[in-house]
Amino acid sequence: MSVLGANFRRDLEIRRYPLLVYALVPLAALVLQAWLPRLLGRYAWFDLPLVVTVYFALGRRSPIQGTLMGAAMGLFEDALTHHAIGINGIAKTVVGFLAASVGVRIDVDNHTIRLILNFLLSLLASAIYVFINRVLLGLDLEWQWFTELFKAIGNSLIALVLFPLLDRLQIKD
Amino acid sequence: MESFFVRYRNPLVLLAILVAQIIGLAVQVRQTGSGRNTLDSPDSSEVRLIRLWADMLVSPPERLIHSSKLGVGYLWQNYLDLRHVREQNQDLQKTIDRLRLEQASLLEDAHQGQRLQALLGFQQKYIYTTLAAQAIGSSGSDQSRVFYLDKGSADGLERDMAVITADGIVGKVRDVFPHSAQVLAINDQTSGAGVILETTRVRGVLRGNAAGQPEIVDIMSDQRIQPGEKVLTAGGDQIFPRGLPVGVVEKVVRDPDRDSFIDVIVKPAAQLDRLDEVLVITSTQPRFSPQDQQDIATSESLKGAEAAAIQAQQKASQIMAERLPGLTDPNLPPDQQPLLDTSNPNPVAHPPLALHPDRFTPGAATAPAPDADAGSTPGAAHGLPREKQTSAPEDRNGSAAPKVAPKANLKPGSKPSLKSGQPTQPAQTKPQRNP
Repeated sequence: MSVLGANFRRDLEIRRYPLLVYALVPLAALVLQAWLPRLLGRYAWFDLPLVVTVYFALGRRSPIQGTLMGAAMGLFEDALTHHAIGINGIAKTVVGFLAASVGVRIDVDNHTIRLILNFLLSLLASAIYVFINRVLLGLDLEWQWFTELFKAIGNSLIALVLFPLLDRLQIKD
Repeated sequence: MESFFVRYRNPLVLLAILVAQIIGLAVQVRQTGSGRNTLDSPDSSEVRLIRLWADMLVSPPERLIHSSKLGVGYLWQNYLDLRHVREQNQDLQKTIDRLRLEQASLLEDAHQGQRLQALLGFQQKYIYTTLAAQAIGSSGSDQSRVFYLDKGSADGLERDMAVITADGIVGKVRDVFPHSAQVLAINDQTSGAGVILETTRVRGVLRGNAAGQPEIVDIMSDQRIQPGEKVLTAGGDQIFPRGLPVGVVEKVVRDPDRDSFIDVIVKPAAQLDRLDEVLVITSTQPRFSPQDQQDIATSESLKGAEAAAIQAQQKASQIMAERLPGLTDPNLPPDQQPLLDTSNPNPVAHPPLALHPDRFTPGAATAPAPDADAGSTPGAAHGLPREKQTSAPEDRNGSAAPKVAPKANLKPGSKPSLKSGQPTQPAQTKPQRNP
């Protein structure tokens, strides 16, 4: 119960980072997401912008900031594809909002919580992506559920490694 | 009212951003005449600007990584190696690492040199004008099979140019930026290329499926299509020139939506997942090498000389024909034709006359056989007198010839088998009985 011990108020620690981290980490995530699939081919089962969005949303514990962060990351991700701009934007906007809302309520330093949160939010982002494409826009998009599952697992594993590294960059009082 | 906005500030911000993005999506998607939604229309200027920003943000670091050959694998290995070096023997291991890096760099350079050499050889042999480019990045999404080139509009690239390698086609240029370009690969779900199967000559449209495999869709079920058959570009899409290799048939599966249709899964000839150097066809005007141009000029000159020789030969033949006497002269009566000239050493040969002429004998359609009864003769049916029916034209000597060839066939030098004055009916021989 220590995990769920925090109350609904934002009485948990709000993490702060240098401005350079806010600029460079999302940029690095976007660049690596665009570059690594060239090396890994079809086995690039991860979504680094999503992981970074979840991290900052959990750390800042502000739904508005999480929403804006997710929207920006998603829109830039969309801009690199040839699809309509806004599909990933909507998905990551919702993810950022939910991650920040959850971060207010629970202690997100726990590795298991981080693992589960990343897994569920990745699945949610994939579901929103497919929903927007097939239902909202009516586009003929084929998708494979196991690819989305592998991507969710990959995001969770990356988050396990990446979150402690990013924790070291925060400003400590 | 103020407390409402303060209290529900977070959901309101979320709602506002979502609505803005949904409106943006609605602006981008349009409906085709067939009732399907599509994103194929060119982007509006605002969207184009966002893509340009994203490209400007991502391409320079990608270009930097690509040019300096700093892969994640190198960094990771070197990081671990350096940690071990410090623990054991720092100086010696550094030297080894440096040598390893140099070796890896040289090996990579050698491999790249080999690839570029092969590409250059293909480019020199290829008939169309091409531009070599490097793949520097991708979309980062498995739903969007696009990648980026390090060449852009400043280098002459334009939208819808074909992108190929020496192995086969890769895709087409979808969006062009000043110093980079976005290429839509053939295994994307929204791509489309006209292809033809080499042996069965079945045509179809190639596009990608959800697994990133190119497949030919909308093909009627055909038992002749077997794995291993080569797939070539058909040339009807105005993007890819005809006859370029696409890949080979990997397997044939039934279309899940339509029973009588099949999907042909194609194994692409080009390695779409591992692209480094590609060629962009910048012009489909034929480009010939100096040797080819020389061969064409030689061929043209030879063809001209040959035509002149044939024309001169025809002219000489006409002159000879005018000078030599002909076999028929329209100005002379039929009996004075040169054909009947007895001085002609090479008379025209004619078939011998029939010993038993009947109504099927050439030239005797109205002269029935003498022993034929009146009822079977064609003339009898019309009520003609028998003397008229059996009357034969007279020969040049005035002797009656009941069955002879036409007058024109009687020419000097020939040996008629039936002479005038001879009986028309040969003596009938009675069959001899054996004693």
